Amino acid sequence: MANVTFPFPFPDHLITLLPEMIVAVLAMTLLLVDLFISKENKVWTAYMAVITIVVAAIATIQLYPAGSIEAFYGFFVFDPFAAFSKLLLFAATAISILISIDYMKDENHVGEYYVLMLFAMLGMMLMISATNFIILYLGMELMALCTYVLVGYQREVLRSNEAALKYFILGALSSGMLLYGITFLYGVSGSFDYSEVGAALHATGNSSDPAVLLGLVFLLAGLAFKVSMAPFHMWTPDAYEGAPTPITAFMSVAPKVAGFVVIVRVAVDVLPAMQTEYMTILTGMAILTMAIGNLAAIAQRNIKRMLAYSTVGHVGFVVLGVIAGNADGYAGILVYLSIYMVMTLGIFAIIILMRREGIQGELLDDFAGLSKVRPGYALAMGLFLFSLGGIPFLAGFWAKYAVFIAAIEAGHVYLVLYALLFSAVGAFYYIRVVKYIYFDEARVTFEFTESRVMQATVVITAVAIVALGLYPDPLMDACKAAVVGLI
Amino acid sequence: MELHNVLDFPILSLSIFLPTLGALIIWLFVRGDNAVRWASLIVAVATFLVTLPLVLQFDTTTSHMQFEEFHHWIPAFNVNYQLGVDGISMPFIVLTSLLTVICIISAWSCIQSRVKEYMIAFLVLETTLIGVFSALDAILFYFFWEAMLIPMYLIIGIWGGKNRVYATIKFFLYTLAGSLLMLIAVLAMYFKAGHTFSMLAFMDYPFDFTWQFWIWIAFFIAFAVKVPMWPVHTWLPDAHTEAPTAGSVILAGILLKMGAYGFLRFSLPMLPDASQYFVPLMVGLSLVAIVYISLVAMMQTDMKRLIAYSSIAHMGFVTLGTFMFTQAALEGAVIGMISHGFVAAALFLCVGVMYDRLHTREIGDYGGVVNVMPVFAAVMLFFCMANIALPGASAFVGEIMVLIGTFEAAPAHLGVSAMWIAVAAATSVILSACYTLWMYKRVVMGDLVKDSVKTMKDMSFREFGYFVPLMILTLWIGFYPLPVLDLLHVSVSHLIDQVSTSKLDAAAALLQAMPAAEAAHH
Repeated sequence: MANVTFPFPFPDHLITLLPEMIVAVLAMTLLLVDLFISKENKVWTAYMAVITIVVAAIATIQLYPAGSIEAFYGFFVFDPFAAFSKLLLFAATAISILISIDYMKDENHVGEYYVLMLFAMLGMMLMISATNFIILYLGMELMALCTYVLVGYQREVLRSNEAALKYFILGALSSGMLLYGITFLYGVSGSFDYSEVGAALHATGNSSDPAVLLGLVFLLAGLAFKVSMAPFHMWTPDAYEGAPTPITAFMSVAPKVAGFVVIVRVAVDVLPAMQTEYMTILTGMAILTMAIGNLAAIAQRNIKRMLAYSTVGHVGFVVLGVIAGNADGYAGILVYLSIYMVMTLGIFAIIILMRREGIQGELLDDFAGLSKVRPGYALAMGLFLFSLGGIPFLAGFWAKYAVFIAAIEAGHVYLVLYALLFSAVGAFYYIRVVKYIYFDEARVTFEFTESRVMQATVVITAVAIVALGLYPDPLMDACKAAVVGLI
Repeated sequence: MELHNVLDFPILSLSIFLPTLGALIIWLFVRGDNAVRWASLIVAVATFLVTLPLVLQFDTTTSHMQFEEFHHWIPAFNVNYQLGVDGISMPFIVLTSLLTVICIISAWSCIQSRVKEYMIAFLVLETTLIGVFSALDAILFYFFWEAMLIPMYLIIGIWGGKNRVYATIKFFLYTLAGSLLMLIAVLAMYFKAGHTFSMLAFMDYPFDFTWQFWIWIAFFIAFAVKVPMWPVHTWLPDAHTEAPTAGSVILAGILLKMGAYGFLRFSLPMLPDASQYFVPLMVGLSLVAIVYISLVAMMQTDMKRLIAYSSIAHMGFVTLGTFMFTQAALEGAVIGMISHGFVAAALFLCVGVMYDRLHTREIGDYGGVVNVMPVFAAVMLFFCMANIALPGASAFVGEIMVLIGTFEAAPAHLGVSAMWIAVAAATSVILSACYTLWMYKRVVMGDLVKDSVKTMKDMSFREFGYFVPLMILTLWIGFYPLPVLDLLHVSVSHLIDQVSTSKLDAAAALLQAMPAAEAAHH
């Protein structure tokens, strides 16, 4: 038998892409299968999307690597950091799909909605594992294009269209910036590979080269846009407010995970030679982000807008983990994002549950007197809000603790002091919502969506917030293990 | 690690978590307002009984921590679940569990809405308060210290008076902003002291002066807000005035002590040199609290506000005694705190009794109450006299000891003669007599002219009942403080040793040894 010879060596470790392949293949299959599912049974599309994610999650857990495995000639890396982040992503997407079911049941073409979420997730999975700027760009565009559509999914709602358009225009601009930055770095180093670019930057040793600096700035601007870091956060409140609420939940969690993984990888692989410049820019942005996010949130009357600014504020805290630049810092980012994901999804689940003649309860006023009408939801909401404010016995405290201690370890005491100041400011607008819920009398009546899935989501996230608050050790250990070998 | 625990039983954990466990059971299984009241009372009394062995089995001959417990909590950051009490912290645990019982009885009829939530909030609050006084790990301490904000925020916000939202948000933000500085100080100490959060390790570690200086300031802001000291006291009158009666009782009785306890547990033993350095500041602020705040108290027209200001003035005495570093003054400060826990609590309960009848706290709305409520008038007179620190009342013991200790204090490091400080502090005795008795005169004495006052009924048996233990304790400590002093004695002299032993030499030695150690390391 003649030896079969490939024209090129067959890629090693192809198996590490199994989760991506599963998602890609099943998502495309689902797109076809969905055509045969009647409108009343679209809920099955959602369940199948969740099953896809579960299968991908099982594959990821089975393959959970002990160290860093490179595939596709170093285009793609599968390390504990990537695996853990992907699991976070899976959880975020699966919960977002589950809380969508009831919300989207009256929409047309709801099948594609779930498939788009899967593709967005696939894009983020690629971003997480990318060690090459082209792969990064492909992943990011896949995510972005899907989310543009998802934001504007309610075609007959003007607000949704407006949000999608704004998001698209600014998003396209930021993608352009990112690409522009990449070309500069390519020009300097002759490579798209993270570590090769890093080595080239290190070799030149001349960080004041304008091409390098421009490349760095544009690259960072593009990344900052995806994670809503000020001053590239402008799109966040509009997109959050206009998007269907489950998509708001999805957007406030999943892209942040992917974005921060990329930011960390860039810090570790591409820019070790330019730590000072990278950190200076990041510190400036962190200072701005914390201030804008937390101060602007105070002025909001719409809870989705408030949470948008609150996301910006939290992103400012997460950046501290990058600035710390040590293993504790990177582990802290994962701790923060994990806990933030649980709190945020829980809070959005409650917002989705509140309906008034088909209109969502979105204004802070709508929450007045919730504790009398639905004490259970009020309690859960109170827990989430105190947790977002970072008050202990709830998990949010440990999220802040994890990044602050890393930043102090790295000597950034003043920055932590500043962050704590804004964390107190942040507490104000969270406890103000508690005020509406517990201290005020009800002004409008709501019919609550009686959906078992949603209620289960609320209960599980609330219990998780308390449990992680009382015993955060397993999460902290897992996050610490996930960053071993990263630096 | 050897744990000192004569009981071989996690009694501190039980005292901490029994209330929350009870709250959980009440939340899930108890229905009906009256059932909830009785169940909460049972839980509170059970907790009180559980804390009693802490007194009875307490070894007064050692300054070592007792009833210790140790479990790993977050090994990733060496955060441990470490508990233990000494003579300084133990009395506050018992005081907390006692006052919680009284609070629950006092809320029996005046809280009619959301009874279950109210009781649960109080029981959870008790957990956090006992936790603060038993924690020996700085993160655990912070954990309880901050967690306390949640139930207190709800108690003032839901069951408070007209202006409750403003008051509770102000309380929350003031305390939070202060505490966050404590967090940053604790995190900084973690790295300095060799990756540990153990408060005992912090006490032993020689911090150099620059470190002590900045960490002391961070702790100072956190604790001063809580005490509260002038000028960061403004949240207290609002919170006190708007809180429901039991909320004021627990605020005055326990929460204010947390700040002073923080000074005793963190600032003095961990940062002795900075504490010595800042004595003039502390003395100055304490005297302002005593003199100026007493004058402010005199001009109040709202009874709760008046007592709130009186609390700030009395806490000025406590902080003064704390920073005199003499045996008498420190013991006086602790006795003063315990005594204030009884007296201020009782005065708030007195106002509560009247408020339940007329729903006003304005002094001007009363007058001649003695004619319709003779028993009540006698009880209130008793506690007013105690508030003035009349000999025979517990407050007298505390104040006289602080004054004696102040006279004793070496004037060298103060800049002014200790005598003048004592003289200035002693004006408090006169001023507190002025505002307390004047209020009593306007409210209780005089002719019965107001129709609304004529309708007031004297105290019920239940209402009288919760004053009795407070009266007994006030008199007991007033006449025979020795048992309490015995509890304190060894721990306080150990604390004085700690604060008078400079850490600077050891810090310098450590600094010298460091390059050598680093060289050996490489």
